[in-house]
Amino acid sequence: MDEQPSCRGGAELVLNLESNSSIPINYDPNFGPHDDLILLEVDEKLLSDILQQRVTFRGQPDEEAVLCTPSKTYAVKFVGTSNTVFLIPPTNSPILNANADNEKETVAGSVLKVAPGNIELVEVAPKLDKLNSLLRKKPYRPEGKLELDEMEVEEMGKDNLGLFPWEDLVDRIQASDEELRAGLRALSAVEIDGSWGIVDEDYMNNLLTMLLNLSVSEGWSLSALKEDEVVGLMEAYGYPSKLVLHSLDMYGSKVSEDVNAGHLWTLDEKRVCVHFARGILRGGKRKMESFMEEWMRKIPPGMRASFDMLEGEVLVERLGVGTWVYAFSVSSMSCTPAERFSVLFRERQKWEWKDLEPYIKDLRVPGLSSEGLLLKYTRRTQPTKDSEPVFSAR
Amino acid sequence: MQIQVKCSCGEGNCPEWAIVELQGVIEAQPSVQDRLQNLEIGCLCHTSSEGKYTFTVGYHELLGSKVPLKKPLLVLKKQKVGDIEPEKNGSSASSKIKLEVVGIIRQRILFKTRPRALISKPKPFVKEKISGPCPIVN
Repeated sequence: MDEQPSCRGGAELVLNLESNSSIPINYDPNFGPHDDLILLEVDEKLLSDILQQRVTFRGQPDEEAVLCTPSKTYAVKFVGTSNTVFLIPPTNSPILNANADNEKETVAGSVLKVAPGNIELVEVAPKLDKLNSLLRKKPYRPEGKLELDEMEVEEMGKDNLGLFPWEDLVDRIQASDEELRAGLRALSAVEIDGSWGIVDEDYMNNLLTMLLNLSVSEGWSLSALKEDEVVGLMEAYGYPSKLVLHSLDMYGSKVSEDVNAGHLWTLDEKRVCVHFARGILRGGKRKMESFMEEWMRKIPPGMRASFDMLEGEVLVERLGVGTWVYAFSVSSMSCTPAERFSVLFRERQKWEWKDLEPYIKDLRVPGLSSEGLLLKYTRRTQPTKDSEPVFSAR
Repeated sequence: MQIQVKCSCGEGNCPEWAIVELQGVIEAQPSVQDRLQNLEIGCLCHTSSEGKYTFTVGYHELLGSKVPLKKPLLVLKKQKVGDIEPEKNGSSASSKIKLEVVGIIRQRILFKTRPRALISKPKPFVKEKISGPCPIVN
């Protein structure tokens, strides 16, 4: 028999075969299972992200891997095929470990592997619940001094301080960089030297209270706080500038970047009021009247609290003649719809729309509208045509 | 952990691979099953009508066509690195994995019909046959 021609690869010959011509298809000398070769199906947008090396697989060994672009997260699914898929590399592909003796012109397509299927990608919501629990489990407690020397940091480990280096978060959390940053922002996490953490609530409360007291004594306007002045004075009271700025960002927003006057900040009425309401309810449920009384007392002059501000933060229940209010904050809940709804229905079997809406409006599932979410996870009942619909568990 | 997907070919220069796909399984005769390397599978022919192909395997002929993939497939190669890094504390056998894009597939030559038997006898050295096609996959 003739010896097989030493031809390797040949993808371009196969694809560009002229009409009325033919080419043999062989098993390559290196033909085998080649489990290290994976086919990944991508759309054009992802393709350019991948070719520009902006894509990573993320996950712990016990998690299902996800693929992250700079801004999105994709679930990774292997889809098998029962077809025979012959994979033919291009001629002289380095993958063939071609030796010198096959520099002869290729005259065949050579099959390196039969692909058992390929990986498909499905856009999913980032898995941020882990971030939430990781950071909340260990809040950052600044112990008066922010700059520990390196020895100390090494001894304690940043984890023990409640600060997590960005690289650690990226290693542990299955989310794209952009989604992770948004997640950190939503948790009001602070960044210190490249590490992130949630500042201990008592600490933030003391800091905010001090800031508000100073604004009274110094006559500052809460809608035009001068950054330099505030930071300077707060530092004198032992609060590091980084955390003062963090509190301004957490409870307010920058209003101007005037070069002469320096940065001006305004405190957000709602965020400040909610902060104090949370503080009161951390001790447990309260009678409505006593809660409102204490809350109003804590509100800084110039601000007005109203109960609407607390939607998504508290629930009200009527027990006998008394009305009670208790903390039930959406920000500490899972962003996975199934878990979210299960928590909600464990709390209450039936929800009216006005109560339910604050607890689900932040849920985002690619490809599913909020109506779709409701259909999937709730049962809607409406006793009469004019009455409010009521949602219960499916 | 993170596995970065590397690509050294740069945009637009990714080497293009080809797929020849057919229904069912090509089964080699038991005598050659474990040494398929270098064996000829069959003959691919671009017919006189543009984009139509035949694939002749033994005395079976398949009819098919070249179809662009709706979404391209990337060929990734998984490599273990880090075996050469006994780094300081040598924290366990954390051999890192690297994924590299080695090719892209944008079209395939797809044979989705059942094979047609050729009248003439097969050449004696072709030792393969096509088993019954499986249910449609596409």
